[in-house]
Amino acid sequence: MKYIKIVLGSLFFITACSTDLDQAPSNFASADSLTDFGGVLNAAYYYQLGSVTPLAVMAEFRADNALMQEAPYTEFDEFTNNLTTMEDQFFGPLYTAMYKSILSANNVIENSTDATEVAEAKFLRALSYFKLVKSFGAVTVNLSAAPSLTDTSILQRQNADQVYSSVIIPDLNDAVAVLSTTIVDGRASKYAAQALLGKVYAAMGDYSNAETQLAAVVNGAAGAGISLKSNFNEIFGAANESGNSEIIYATRISSSIVDEYSFGSDFWNWFVGDDSKSDLPVDPDLVAAFDASDANGGGTDLRRTVTLSNDGLKATKFPKEGGLGSEHDWIEIRLADVILLYAEALNENGTAADTVLALLDPIRTRAGLTSLRGTVSSRADVKQAIADERRLELAFEGHRWFDLVRTGTVDAEMGQTVNSNYHVFPIPISEVLATGGVITQNDGY
Amino acid sequence: MKIRSYLSLLLVLLGTTIGFAQTQLSGIVTGADGVPIPGASVLVQGTNNGTTTDFDGNFTVSVETNQSIEISYVGYVNQLIQFTGQDNINVVLQEDLNELDEIVVTGYGTRKRSQLTGAVAKIGGGEVAAVQTARVDDALAGKLSGVLIQNQDGSPGAAPKIQIRAASSISGASNPLVVVDGYPISGGIQSVNPNDIQSIEVLKDAASAAIYGSRGANGVILITTKKGTSGKAKFSYNAYTSTSSKYRENILQSGPEWAATARAEIAAGNWTSTVATKDAAFLEYRLSAYENSPGAISPEDWLFQNGQSQSHDFSMSGGNEDVKYFASVGYQDIEGVVITQGYERLNFRMNVDAKLNDKLSAGINANGFSSTRDILGHDMRDLLRAYGVHPIYHTAESISFVQQLDAQAQSLGLTPFDRGYRGSGYEANSIYALEPGMAAQDWHYGRANNGIGGSGDAGPAAKLDNVESWEKSYFANLNGYLQYEIIEGLNVKSVLGGDIRDSQVYSHRLLGYDSRARNSQTFMRQTDLKVSTILSETTLNFTKVIGNHDIAAVAGVEVQSTKFNGTALRGVNVPDEAILNFNLFDPSDISVTERKETRVRESVFGRVNYAYNDRYLASVSLRRDGDSRFGANNRYETFPALSVGWNIHNEAFLENNETLSQLKLRFSTGSLGTTSFLGSYNSLSLLSPSATIYGTGYLIPSNSPNPDLTWQTNTETNFGIDLGFSNNRLTLGVDYYTSDIQDILINQAQSEVLGNPSSVLNVGDVTSSGIEFELGALLVNNDDLTWNMNANLSTVNTEITDLGGLEELPQQIFGQSGRGAVFRNYVGGEIGEMWGLETIGEVEMEYLADGSRHPNSMTGESYVIDQNGDGKIDRTKSVEDGGDLVKIGQNTPDFYWGMSHNLSYDNFDMSLQFQGSHGADVYNIDPLYYGSQWGGRLDNARIDPNGDRIADHNGEYLERNRNQTDAMIQDASFIALRNLTIGYTFESSLTNSLGLNSVRAYIAGSNLLYIMGDNYTSYNPEGVKGTDPTIYGAQVGASPVVRSFTLGLNVNF
Repeated sequence: MKYIKIVLGSLFFITACSTDLDQAPSNFASADSLTDFGGVLNAAYYYQLGSVTPLAVMAEFRADNALMQEAPYTEFDEFTNNLTTMEDQFFGPLYTAMYKSILSANNVIENSTDATEVAEAKFLRALSYFKLVKSFGAVTVNLSAAPSLTDTSILQRQNADQVYSSVIIPDLNDAVAVLSTTIVDGRASKYAAQALLGKVYAAMGDYSNAETQLAAVVNGAAGAGISLKSNFNEIFGAANESGNSEIIYATRISSSIVDEYSFGSDFWNWFVGDDSKSDLPVDPDLVAAFDASDANGGGTDLRRTVTLSNDGLKATKFPKEGGLGSEHDWIEIRLADVILLYAEALNENGTAADTVLALLDPIRTRAGLTSLRGTVSSRADVKQAIADERRLELAFEGHRWFDLVRTGTVDAEMGQTVNSNYHVFPIPISEVLATGGVITQNDGY
Repeated sequence: MKIRSYLSLLLVLLGTTIGFAQTQLSGIVTGADGVPIPGASVLVQGTNNGTTTDFDGNFTVSVETNQSIEISYVGYVNQLIQFTGQDNINVVLQEDLNELDEIVVTGYGTRKRSQLTGAVAKIGGGEVAAVQTARVDDALAGKLSGVLIQNQDGSPGAAPKIQIRAASSISGASNPLVVVDGYPISGGIQSVNPNDIQSIEVLKDAASAAIYGSRGANGVILITTKKGTSGKAKFSYNAYTSTSSKYRENILQSGPEWAATARAEIAAGNWTSTVATKDAAFLEYRLSAYENSPGAISPEDWLFQNGQSQSHDFSMSGGNEDVKYFASVGYQDIEGVVITQGYERLNFRMNVDAKLNDKLSAGINANGFSSTRDILGHDMRDLLRAYGVHPIYHTAESISFVQQLDAQAQSLGLTPFDRGYRGSGYEANSIYALEPGMAAQDWHYGRANNGIGGSGDAGPAAKLDNVESWEKSYFANLNGYLQYEIIEGLNVKSVLGGDIRDSQVYSHRLLGYDSRARNSQTFMRQTDLKVSTILSETTLNFTKVIGNHDIAAVAGVEVQSTKFNGTALRGVNVPDEAILNFNLFDPSDISVTERKETRVRESVFGRVNYAYNDRYLASVSLRRDGDSRFGANNRYETFPALSVGWNIHNEAFLENNETLSQLKLRFSTGSLGTTSFLGSYNSLSLLSPSATIYGTGYLIPSNSPNPDLTWQTNTETNFGIDLGFSNNRLTLGVDYYTSDIQDILINQAQSEVLGNPSSVLNVGDVTSSGIEFELGALLVNNDDLTWNMNANLSTVNTEITDLGGLEELPQQIFGQSGRGAVFRNYVGGEIGEMWGLETIGEVEMEYLADGSRHPNSMTGESYVIDQNGDGKIDRTKSVEDGGDLVKIGQNTPDFYWGMSHNLSYDNFDMSLQFQGSHGADVYNIDPLYYGSQWGGRLDNARIDPNGDRIADHNGEYLERNRNQTDAMIQDASFIALRNLTIGYTFESSLTNSLGLNSVRAYIAGSNLLYIMGDNYTSYNPEGVKGTDPTIYGAQVGASPVVRSFTLGLNVNF
């Protein structure tokens, strides 16, 4: 009897004794308990991966370097409001990834005590906003690590000019001041920030400031170990990406890092014709451009064999290479790009044609072509020559469409009148819906 | 027992000495199934003479001529037999059909049905086991009012969706709580073998379920398993074998059928654009290619098969007065109607109840199962979208055909087929290197612009042969109770139990899957998760009858703690396809995720039931719960409930009325809470570490800290009336309920600028209501034939009444890649309304630019109405807001019903079960793929030269069907003959001579008749996946409705 009572009593005890309702997981960190923000900075770099394929496709297929073959992807080559069907695969992930990178960067900037980390974060934040503005025009600006969840007025889109002047340029100036000139693969450096600043000024049309920044990079490059590779085919691909002297900043990609861009294709897939939506992606217009370059350059443009396949139908700059293909880094800024842009800025600011064209000589020689000095002299002609050179040098590196928009030559190069509404891409519809219209859609879409 | 036989002997002796003309009458008492009934009472009427039957049902009693003996036993109809000189009598007792005194299991106790005040539906175990399915929930379909069971995924072993009354939360699953023998199981209803079930009760209204507090808001399903009875050991063996196939005929066409359609359209003059703009030679080349492609089959012929299944179940039960036991073992092996699908399960159960002494009783339940489920490794919709123009594997004929087709194409000036190749050499890189037996890929037959191949994707064999997916589950539950009677009517019961559920999910995808041979697309994934729960519950139970007052009360405490422990392995770039082992992967290609969570819940509860004179009934309950998942400020909540009833038929003025034999009014109200879809740590903000190229990165937390996160509360009121006519030969129950759910947890969509697409907040209020009818009738009841009918009908309506200050939740387009309806959830509307553009007709076939490209009978575009006449088609706003969206459908049915008939004639028995649902719509995306309705291939020169999307010939706006139009809305109503069973019980004389108690053989069919909506064009109108009611209603590939034929046997011995 007594025994029973003891058993019952203890059972009652088990049920009645209070167990802790305050549960927290042992294997996760909590947001407010961090002291070392290196991991958050790593996240900011990581989110850049989500912008690679969208920008690669948007820049090349929208312009005259590549063509889509299967509907509805052919919307890229047309300039109508139907482009919104491409949102799921391109504009949406780009938008999401950039804002996540921005949030992580904000976190580091607000809370980190390490000046280098803060500078790197500012670089990434500026890079993200630049990509957003290039793609969408006016965008929302968020500079807080914990923005209000309920106040939608903070989400109002700001004009491109405002974004440039209030965020991008100040951030890059701060980054330039702190970062060192040493280049570490895939991380921000002083010249990366300065080159980016130059690009930003050029995109704004402010060539005088652009010239200053780009001059600093071009002149200081050698001191930092940045120089042009002697052969064009030594710049691209997984085999060449580590410690490459010409690459100033790249987004590092590895097949074993699962990135948030879930659509499976690496950016080079689209260029080599592996994606079934475009088997033979190269636009004949590009082939014609190479032909013209051969004719004007007194020989064969060596860049053609690196950029295009033998039959001129596929772009093999970032080759498939069996399993290694997924390792290709995405080059964001390289020295040739900076030189070309510098030449463009000088030309716009009135520098003599020959001085400007002389800068292009190392690039021309490397391509097996003769110098352009003396072939053209007017500002407009020099501008065209630089633009053409830029196209061939940087084909399939994510520049073409944005260059066309920046220099105002969309209609001329595409051969049709394109409504200026379609110079930018549509904002993801879910943003418009989720904010009840506070975030507006771009005109024309 | 010994004492009793001595006593009877004594009586007999006394009898013989005292009485005269008194004889000893012996006999045996059995039930209708031939099983002897021990302990039945045998009483000589008008005397004190009586006895009870022994272990084998035998009795001997002393009677005088013309006296009658009355034999009675609980649950059976009493029998009166007059003694006219028989030596021996065989008494067969029939089960009592009068349900008034039926015992119904309610939460933490039982109640007589006559004293019930809540809405409780009951179904007997025999009815459940009669439906030959491995899952209990499939067997319940259509049998209970207010319980909607939907076969979202027809694959074997997949869980159907169960919804009791209205969806109780806007975001998240509405799964009811499942309690087996008083123990709430975490394994879900699929862990119970249908053959083990004695009865199932469903607590539908708040007042009945309130005693379960926070887990009861979606309703509670109480399962009582079979227990032993004292007597000789009884054995039972049930087995069946069945064949199943998909119900619907093939809906896809194959190449030759396409060619015939195309030629007919051309002959009828419907393809004016095509004929005008396409070269005649090219058209002829295409059409004859479709016609002559050797081995062309529709992918359905390859993908669907006849599945064979079998099931075996063996159980034994028995015991003596002190110990009773029941044990069972079951095995099912089910093959799906789609290749590679299958489900195999082995389960066991053991219940032991023991009376230790006259105050103390104890019991142990052990049960568990182990199952393997083979899952179709690739999206079914994607497999079926292959064009039916080629065989699945190449033959010599098809290879030479392909090469010849290529030659023809080139002679017409088209690009060679080999240009479509993108692989790397693991298979033929040219159609001229093909060998018989290789998988046929679409591009072998050219692409849309130069051949008949279509999309350029890998063929279906390549996709399916290189993937594998399966899930293994192990579940074991052990619980025990100790019950001690303190004084008469008051006992204390303590339950302690635990269960563990171990599941392993595996899938892989190998290189051959992808015709582009992208190594980065191969992967191997394995997830192991162990969920272990410990529950401890102690209750105090009190029952007392004082004169006309009948009181029952229960009070208790309960603590439950659940732990989740798991790891997920993911490897990409599979290095060796012959040996699949994670060890062989490059270490940088493997990522590991770990899950370690604990949830704790504590509760206190109590209830008092009172009945006065069996007429006036009342019940009050209260429960207080605390849960670790909520924010620190809001952990606890109290849930009260009250219900009253009036048995008018027991009143004096109706007491002996035979026509109106039951009239009962019921009213109940109560409140319940749910935790909805919350995970263990939603109120905290956790950084998810992830591997980046520089080392660990702390990615954006998926939620911000919210210490106010709290319960959703559901307050429900239920009015009920139960009527019975002709001694309850006809019964009708009507229930009307309204419920108000507050503080609903909503995944509120927000801008991506904030880092996450949504955040969880307690805002929101939804009201719902419905009416339920239950009709039961004993249509025929005579010696030969009995015919019982049960029918039920339920309606459900929901309305959103508050969204925390918002007029509307952000609209979501949900479906597949932006092809879905616009789901609107706004104040004043239902949950999950589907909105879209209104179409007024299809664009005619004559405007197709190239009809032969994907021959079908639709252009895939329609004319839409500009609702407000502003010259634009605006797909982002409703008509009220200046746009062009109108309501195009709703995902909940207007009403659903079920009807079952049970007949028995002589030794035959037959049962039919019907189920139907009306008024639900589905946004069916499948036709886009199956019918190639991509749209956008109109001949613009003819229909819309200026590209303004207005057709010149009639001034109407053009829109692609897939862009949120009502052209994709189809009717998801259905009427199904879910089950038809005809059984024959062999003569007991025959079976007894074999030493068996009863043998029954039966044939059955399920889904013999399934009537779908007129405009429904896929395989399964119930196949809408997803648990979030705000975006529920889009169908993307549904496993087909399955029809099966079964042959089975029940043996009792």
